[in-house]
Amino acid sequence: MIKKFIHQFASPKTYLYQVDRFYSYIFLFSIITYIISITWGLLYTPEDFVQGNSYRIIYLHVPASFLSQSLYIAMAISSVTYLIWRVKLAAYLVIAIAPIGAMTTFIALISGSIWGIPTWGTWWQWDARITSTLILFIMYLGLISLHNSFSNHEKADKLLSWLVIVGAINIPIIKKSVDWWSTLHQSASITLTDKPSIDPVMLYPLIGSITGFFGLVICLVLLSSKYQIFIREKNKSWVKDYV
Amino acid sequence: MFRLELLKLRKKTRSWLGPILVFWLIMLAYPLTVEFLQDKLEIGFFSVLWIAILISMMLATEDIFTEDFNDGSLEQTLIKNLSFSISIVTKIFTYWLLIGLPISILSFIFSLGTTEDFLLSISIFPLAIISSYIFLNLFVLGNALSLNKGSVLGALVTMPLALPVLIVLGKGLIAIQLNINFLSFIFLLLGSLSIIIVVIPVVVSYVIKAHLE
Repeated sequence: MIKKFIHQFASPKTYLYQVDRFYSYIFLFSIITYIISITWGLLYTPEDFVQGNSYRIIYLHVPASFLSQSLYIAMAISSVTYLIWRVKLAAYLVIAIAPIGAMTTFIALISGSIWGIPTWGTWWQWDARITSTLILFIMYLGLISLHNSFSNHEKADKLLSWLVIVGAINIPIIKKSVDWWSTLHQSASITLTDKPSIDPVMLYPLIGSITGFFGLVICLVLLSSKYQIFIREKNKSWVKDYV
Repeated sequence: MFRLELLKLRKKTRSWLGPILVFWLIMLAYPLTVEFLQDKLEIGFFSVLWIAILISMMLATEDIFTEDFNDGSLEQTLIKNLSFSISIVTKIFTYWLLIGLPISILSFIFSLGTTEDFLLSISIFPLAIISSYIFLNLFVLGNALSLNKGSVLGALVTMPLALPVLIVLGKGLIAIQLNINFLSFIFLLLGSLSIIIVVIPVVVSYVIKAHLE
């Protein structure tokens, strides 16, 4: 049943037309949500008692950190889908997500460094959370270079998928690093099981900025996957008709 | 299968002796870069030791599959009824036996020579044994991924996976020095190794199959 569902809805042609149908709605919703949330967070929320105004970088840092890990999980799911059900689109998604994952991880690292100066008094610490995030960034770069080193796309897709699956071990390490090691980085303020430790006045714009950023990154993934489809399916007649 | 792998590796003297000599040279070169005061030597010794093990394991796996890939041995193993994963496990174990184990013994000797602390050095030995096996497995994966593309690419893509092991080794060492529960770190590494021993050969066998298809 899963196989039937995947094959029915995951052909590159169907995907491309579905993306065109929903892209503008997702983009509009995301950009409006992000602009409202970030304006609310930057201008209308009160100063933090301890950190002053510097905490406002959470409206960029938290969504970027969240997305850097979520995108890797998406890549791992796509890799499993590709290796088990041989869905071409899943392989295209893996390589489409990789550069965007690298970009969000880079934003998370840089924004974290900027936040580190007023909060910790240093740009960088070899703290477990920061180091494991840096490892994630290097992983993304490694995945991109591995894929680019093979001219045979099918072979590159398979190798990339295996490496993504093995590298997924880093995600629980990043997530739990603040609990397993005594780190400078604070533990999670928002969890699925406990009440958020962040004040609702700051929490609502944060949720909005995560949603908006998430939507914008989804838009980037959609564009990047469209590009992959064009590159890989360029000889197909339907692509020529589409273009 | 094990005997064949052992024979093949023994004949390639450069492949197994090279990494051991590199490890030896790094450890010998280390005191030259710091003042010959006992406490100064001890400060960075273990960091250099872990990095030297990492680099030696990286060099050890440099051509682990290249020859077999070029002469068709890998294809033959694949079409035989033998389990491909088991042959990978055997290969990794042989490499570890001829390279990883001597390096672990050398780690103990160098540690004893530098720190003059037998108990500390004997605690380093299991850490070196386990970490060398983990590093070997990771770099084997890297080499399988970048087969025919040079070992540098393989090392680059799998090196990030080795970094958490280095962190645990660092923490384990602090635990040994402070005489707190360092066994938990050994068990943590053993747990990781038990997963890696099973997962990596299976993944490597699929990766090599992808290369051969």
